[in-house]
Amino acid sequence: MSQFEDRHLDFVLKHYQEGKFDTTEAIDRFNKAHGIMPKPRRRIIYFFSGVAAAVLLGVFLFHSASQNRWTELEAHAAVRTVVLPDGSDVTLAPGSSLRYRVRSPRIVEMTGKAFFDVARDESAPFEVHSESAFVRVLGTEFMVDAIRPEVTSVYVSEGKVLFATSKDQDGVMLTEGMEAVLEHGWTRPEILEEPDVNSIAWHRGTFVFEDTPLKEVLTCLSQYYNVSFVASDLDKRLSGEFSTEDLDLIISLIESALDVTIVK
Amino acid sequence: MEELFRYNYRPLCLFALHYIPDPDEVEDVVQECFTALWEKLEEGKAIANRRAYLYMTVRNRCLDRLRKKGIETESLKPYDTYGIIDDDDAQERSQTEARLWTAVDALPPKCRQALLLSKRDGLKYEEVAREMGISENTVRNQISKALKLLKEGAVKIYSFIIGLF
Repeated sequence: MSQFEDRHLDFVLKHYQEGKFDTTEAIDRFNKAHGIMPKPRRRIIYFFSGVAAAVLLGVFLFHSASQNRWTELEAHAAVRTVVLPDGSDVTLAPGSSLRYRVRSPRIVEMTGKAFFDVARDESAPFEVHSESAFVRVLGTEFMVDAIRPEVTSVYVSEGKVLFATSKDQDGVMLTEGMEAVLEHGWTRPEILEEPDVNSIAWHRGTFVFEDTPLKEVLTCLSQYYNVSFVASDLDKRLSGEFSTEDLDLIISLIESALDVTIVK
Repeated sequence: MEELFRYNYRPLCLFALHYIPDPDEVEDVVQECFTALWEKLEEGKAIANRRAYLYMTVRNRCLDRLRKKGIETESLKPYDTYGIIDDDDAQERSQTEARLWTAVDALPPKCRQALLLSKRDGLKYEEVAREMGISENTVRNQISKALKLLKEGAVKIYSFIIGLF
């Protein structure tokens, strides 16, 4: 992304007023005006740092007039959100891909990790196929993680989905907040007793911790950022919501909140 | 809809601010435009590029408002280079400015105050110092710290490109 120019900064400073252009307030105002109930799921607190997610992504779009051809989408270095022809939103994690046939855009194949916000259409179920798993939905939000070939996991943040193996369509029903995994060789997925709310942190843009031991917090962060930590007191417990944008900021917030020292 | 808001609300406000230099009025205009889009979609109209649609309606409504106030849209130069830069440039500029606005939001309060007193309100360092009850040297430091943070912030904060379809 290019550096800003002084004229941009001058313009912003000239008009800047604290608290204006608050996106969350604007959404509330819009929802109230149109009688839309806010969605029950947690929302990103630091949205604009959350937006700050990614730019240089290679996107390949092979389009063809032939209805049988595939449309393919890929996210390379960064998270990427796309809108499918039926209005469903898909957020692809880096290194993930998705494809669908032009004639049936609600049947998609994917690799890697993707978060789906499916547009409701009772007459046409939405299907996601990965190498070993199969998910069918009517209208909902969920994530499929098929990064590792031997384990596929599905996390549902809203609605209801059927999660099964690619061979046998008798699977498990998942609803809001539920997560299930499917390991290679299993005949059906298994529902996790303690779903991990942070499995969709990359999509939501925040980590959520509720009275979580510091040890688990650091495990979660180290998986996400691929770094390891040493901390002075692992037994303290943390509650809060943190933007995924800036690891150093999270660390310093935790340090001051819990009065501990954390070393990367 | 919420997603559209999240990605475009602030850039659209900054875009509109080039036409109408009043943040409150600008927020009204942008709300109206989201409503207009929402109503179109509710009617079942297909809008391929929703973001482009929003930018277009924001601009048209801003110009309408200015015309109603009897302002010649040709004389908009102080706030906008209307007619000179193309739509893509305008969108990119708005996004850059939205990121800067966000970066200013995120500045430490003292830094921000010193920066705004100086650059927005046009006070001299000496006057800023008196206003804030700190030394002129501290003012100088706060402002250069603020500018440094903004530069870092603008590099660090980048944004999604969405809606290529």
